[in-house]
Amino acid sequence: MRQKRSEIYSVELSGTEDIVRTDQGDDKEKYRGLKNNCLERKKKNHEEEFQKELQLDDHKLSNTELEKKYGTNIITGLSSTRAAELLARDGPNSLTPPKQTPEIVKFLKQMVGGFSILLWVGAFLCWIAYGIQYSSDKSASLNNVYLGSVLVLVVILTGVFAYYQEAKSTNIMSSFNKMIPQQALVIRDSEKKTIPAEQLVVGDIVEVKGGDQIPADIRVLSSQGCRVDNSSLTGESEPQPRSSEFTHENPLETKNICFYSTTCLEGTVTGMVINTGDRTIIGHIASLASGVGNEKTPIAIEIEHFVHIVAGVAVSIGILFFIIAVSLKYRVLDSVIFLIGIIVANVPEGLLGTVTVTLSLTAKRMAKKNCLVKNLEAVETLGSTSIICSDKTGTLTQNRMTVAHLWFDNQIFVADTSEDHSNQVFDQSSSTWASLSKIITLCNRAEFKPGQENVPIMKKAVIGDASETALLKFSEVILGDVMEIRKRNRKVVEIPFNSTNKFQLSIHETDDPHDKRFLLVMKGAPERILQKCSTIMINGEEHPLDKSTAKTFHTAYMELGGLGERVLGFCHLYLPADEFPETYSFDIDTMNFPTSNLCFVGLLSMIDPPRSTVPDAVTKCRSAGIKVIMVTGDHPITAKAIAKSVGIISANSETVEDIAHRLNIPVEQVNQRDAKAAVVTGMELKDMSSEQLDEILANYQEIVFARTSPQQKLIIVEGCQRQDAVVAVTGDGVNDSPALKKADIGIAMGIAGSDAAKNAADMVLLDDNFASIVTGVEEGRLIFDNLKKTIAYTLTKNIAELCPFLIYIIAGLPLPIGTITILFIDLGTDIIPSIALAYEKAESDIMNRKPRHKKKDRLVNKQLAVYSYLHIGLMQALGAFLVYFTVYAQEGFLPHTLINLRVEWENDNVNDLEDHYGQEWTRYQREYLEWTGYTAFFVGILVQQIADLIIRKTRRNSIFQQGLFRNKVIWVGIASQIIIGLILSYGLGSVTALSFTMLRAQYWFVAVPHAILIWVYDEVRKLFIRLYPGSWWDKNMYY
Amino acid sequence: MAALQEKKTCSQRMEEFQRYCWNPDTGQMLGRTLSRWVWISLYYVAFYVVMTGLFALCLYVLMQTVDPYTPDYQDQLRSPGVTLRPDVYGEKGLEIVYNVSDNRTWADLTHTLHTFLAGYSPAAQEDSINCTSDQYFFQERFLAPNHTKFSCKFTADMLQNCSGLVDPDFGFEEGKPCFIIKMNRIVKFLPSNGSAPRVDCAFLDQPHELGQPLQVVYYPPNGTFSLHYFPYYGKKAQPHYSNPLVAAKLLNVPRNTQVAIVCKVMAEHVTFDNPHDPYEGKVEFKLKIVK
Repeated sequence: MRQKRSEIYSVELSGTEDIVRTDQGDDKEKYRGLKNNCLERKKKNHEEEFQKELQLDDHKLSNTELEKKYGTNIITGLSSTRAAELLARDGPNSLTPPKQTPEIVKFLKQMVGGFSILLWVGAFLCWIAYGIQYSSDKSASLNNVYLGSVLVLVVILTGVFAYYQEAKSTNIMSSFNKMIPQQALVIRDSEKKTIPAEQLVVGDIVEVKGGDQIPADIRVLSSQGCRVDNSSLTGESEPQPRSSEFTHENPLETKNICFYSTTCLEGTVTGMVINTGDRTIIGHIASLASGVGNEKTPIAIEIEHFVHIVAGVAVSIGILFFIIAVSLKYRVLDSVIFLIGIIVANVPEGLLGTVTVTLSLTAKRMAKKNCLVKNLEAVETLGSTSIICSDKTGTLTQNRMTVAHLWFDNQIFVADTSEDHSNQVFDQSSSTWASLSKIITLCNRAEFKPGQENVPIMKKAVIGDASETALLKFSEVILGDVMEIRKRNRKVVEIPFNSTNKFQLSIHETDDPHDKRFLLVMKGAPERILQKCSTIMINGEEHPLDKSTAKTFHTAYMELGGLGERVLGFCHLYLPADEFPETYSFDIDTMNFPTSNLCFVGLLSMIDPPRSTVPDAVTKCRSAGIKVIMVTGDHPITAKAIAKSVGIISANSETVEDIAHRLNIPVEQVNQRDAKAAVVTGMELKDMSSEQLDEILANYQEIVFARTSPQQKLIIVEGCQRQDAVVAVTGDGVNDSPALKKADIGIAMGIAGSDAAKNAADMVLLDDNFASIVTGVEEGRLIFDNLKKTIAYTLTKNIAELCPFLIYIIAGLPLPIGTITILFIDLGTDIIPSIALAYEKAESDIMNRKPRHKKKDRLVNKQLAVYSYLHIGLMQALGAFLVYFTVYAQEGFLPHTLINLRVEWENDNVNDLEDHYGQEWTRYQREYLEWTGYTAFFVGILVQQIADLIIRKTRRNSIFQQGLFRNKVIWVGIASQIIIGLILSYGLGSVTALSFTMLRAQYWFVAVPHAILIWVYDEVRKLFIRLYPGSWWDKNMYY
Repeated sequence: MAALQEKKTCSQRMEEFQRYCWNPDTGQMLGRTLSRWVWISLYYVAFYVVMTGLFALCLYVLMQTVDPYTPDYQDQLRSPGVTLRPDVYGEKGLEIVYNVSDNRTWADLTHTLHTFLAGYSPAAQEDSINCTSDQYFFQERFLAPNHTKFSCKFTADMLQNCSGLVDPDFGFEEGKPCFIIKMNRIVKFLPSNGSAPRVDCAFLDQPHELGQPLQVVYYPPNGTFSLHYFPYYGKKAQPHYSNPLVAAKLLNVPRNTQVAIVCKVMAEHVTFDNPHDPYEGKVEFKLKIVK
């Protein structure tokens, strides 16, 4: 294993060259080639640094060579002046923050998205149309100018809103970023000084003690029991020992280098700074992330597709009617105006705002459930996600060692590993347990930090390393006040754990006042402990340790080890009172006490356990058709164990290795197809071509990638994306940030996550809970469905607004509805109802269907457009025309008199135009009637939009199945529609500029039968869809 | 997401499009097989036939509910509009300019008047009756032939000097032009409570800088529309109805300057102060007589 690891990391370090080489050999690998372009570009920038890093050999050098290389002195440190020079040369020891997009650019970006482009084009067309009109007639109506300005205003307002929304979530983010400036203890000018870590330079001698962060990449000069937590770099949750010996060729594997941003858990270490700032390993990984481009979100692609459809429809209708207009002998210039008018009329002005508001409503709802969305569009992305590449440590697991199993009395007991440990059910009656618990309690140096009386045990901060912490909390939960027990069993002497002994030992007085014996307790690596024992305790009685008991021990040890758990052995010995009287002075240097022939008590295994909510969440993802892949830097055994316990590898599926083991045959002979699961290590991944990776990703349902480097995480994400999957990546460490960025949606952990990860991510889980992702998926899918409804609702009336203009051109009726009136529908009455659709509940269990195919299941498909435009839209237009004709007829202009009336009607110089009854009308009287017609048409659309709103509640189910009143917001929307309509007609009816008039009350009801017809027609449509799934009807009518 | 941004070459796109237009493997044209196209077309034809039928039915019902004699509402027609002949429009409203000494400049104007008055020739008015009363001519029942109501005659000769019969130049040549003022018809409209509506023309900005008020001779005398022309019962009831007219002969129009003149209809139920409608109850025009 060790051997393998080194090679993986060498890939990372010499990554560029390696991949370039593979690529030259295989030009067909298009995608790798693409990636390499970016890498190559990067290579040029960083070539020097990479070269330097490849030559990183500081771990091989002796102390004197190091001193020479960095011009420093191990005892006295750098001089202040030299340090200042170096600081000036290398810059401060901090990671360059990712390039912040200037706020103004972010702001402007909000206004040039796919949708906004449509509106911009519309606005410019309007102004061009006005220009044309103005050039031929100085008194041309300003309507087009207003319309253009309103379009621009809509873009700007929506942009401001979206910018504000995203800025708000960025603010929540930045509150996380407030970090206490890190301090470092450095030797300079022969003095120990505390300086801000930023000022460290190469060659500085620093001292780091347990609990501190490593302030830079340092070469260890001396250490005392130092162990570091490299999980943020590699994903390993186990503490790694650090000492000054050179143990491995690879700088990442050798024990004598500590890395920037990792934490020293215990012990102390003195070291020389060998790299600072961006030149550190972590700095390189962070820069990998900035080299990865941001991808378009699926919803952005969908909206673009939608814009294409709308633009296509607009331009084709426009050109069609341009031709018709020209052949009807309209002047070409007028026809151009018509063309522009038609194109602009197709622009759904309100939709941009509606979509933005809808997305931000969902974002808000998700934030309440602890999913903070940084980028509004990412709200939907989770819904389309088909693969989740999850990091293990901290995301799936709790990122703390916890006691998982115990073995005593020849039996394995399971401990509760849930977040609060509340439910320890194993048998605690055996007296072996009494002895074992005593050892666990006493042979432990970890302590609770003071002043946390009211904090739940599992949340208390502890001084000590991860496994001791686990043991401390475990015993505190079961036995109660550990500190009190330790006080009663005063510690006489102890030998702390070190890597040579591989055990920890302490001698205590007992709490039994009659028992004057000392108690020697020891824990350590199980095989090591077993060697020191001659007896074993079973049911409280000591039995000699014979071969068979040793065998059971080994079986248990292997079983626990096979679960990926870290196993510790425990033994004790009551020192005979005659040999070791109360006054006996123990000496740890001479070891004047027995350390062999002890009594073996039990084994205890620890693991970083999965979060209790994860297995359920993984199951939910499964049933939602989402593949969950684990990608971790940790060991394959641990990774597999965790994967099994959370269900990423389900209980009954086997890997190739499992099958080989079961059948007792070599791995090569196993039929690959028999295995459902696969555990792939970074080492194996390194040798794979992208085809092979694709094959693995496609063939195995359950995949675990272990011991992967950040670079490989990227390759995996790209591999998934090649399968046309929408990939979500979760992670917390710096090492995850490149993959987070590459993913379609990067999800960072809010509490445990590093800043780099949060910066690269699109979404932050505020509670670090993987289960929140499921919520996100649900919300994302719902919003996709509901956006469909919103768009269908909005598109429908477009036809009803466009038809009048077409009829006006062809049949020469007085214009049935004016531009401003249309704006009042699009941006007035229809806004709240279309947002209300976002509150619609799901029609069926959206978590039980497959994620949408990003190239097949479009947001706006042909069926949606056709049904909205050609079915409901047309019905609506007819209904509205009926109201219009009714108003004109009752005022004296019967429908047939209106045909081809346009020219005379609009002529300012005709002031005695005759109607059907022979009455004569002045221009203003006609104009006022025209406005009444606008209002009537408006009311007609409004009434039918209410029906449209109700039918859009569902796409498949009947309204009665969905419940007419379940979504209260819909009714708020309908009320708003009616109230705005009433205000426009009766409140502002006297403002001539708005061209609304007070409409007689009965005209509000003329379109009601049409509205009912729309409802009935749609119910019939849904009924047939439900009755004949997959039929011709279903294919053509379901959107 | 390299896969999504996969750039297609132009020829690939064309090929795809061709395949969309005609796919030999599945026999699909534009995404559907022929039979599918027939089906979908049939559906749409049926759908639109039904929808059109429904709409036609609605319109039919609408027509049935509409009264053939009187409109249901006259919201916009509270007060009649007033128009002028000859009607020559400039940039803003009526603008009449002519040169006394150049008859080509007013030939069109008098021609307009002649054409307009052709409708008032005795022959054209043959089917109307002579009325003498100066009261409203109410007709409850359809006593006229063909189930209609009677209309009163208005013949051009009632305009005397401005009828074009006595002076075919309508006074244009001598610089004292005639203008004919017509009040718009409104069904069942009664202009006043007993006194006949009267036309009153004057300079728009009195007192005029010339100091003299506009001198006008009206025909018929006093410039009144006799009450027996009211009320109007609509085209179906009174197919031969002609609007009564008033001619105004302007006597002292200053030469070579443009003057604005307003002719109002003075009657209790005729308003002329609607700020939005310049033709309601009055007609304004600009006149410039060049010499």
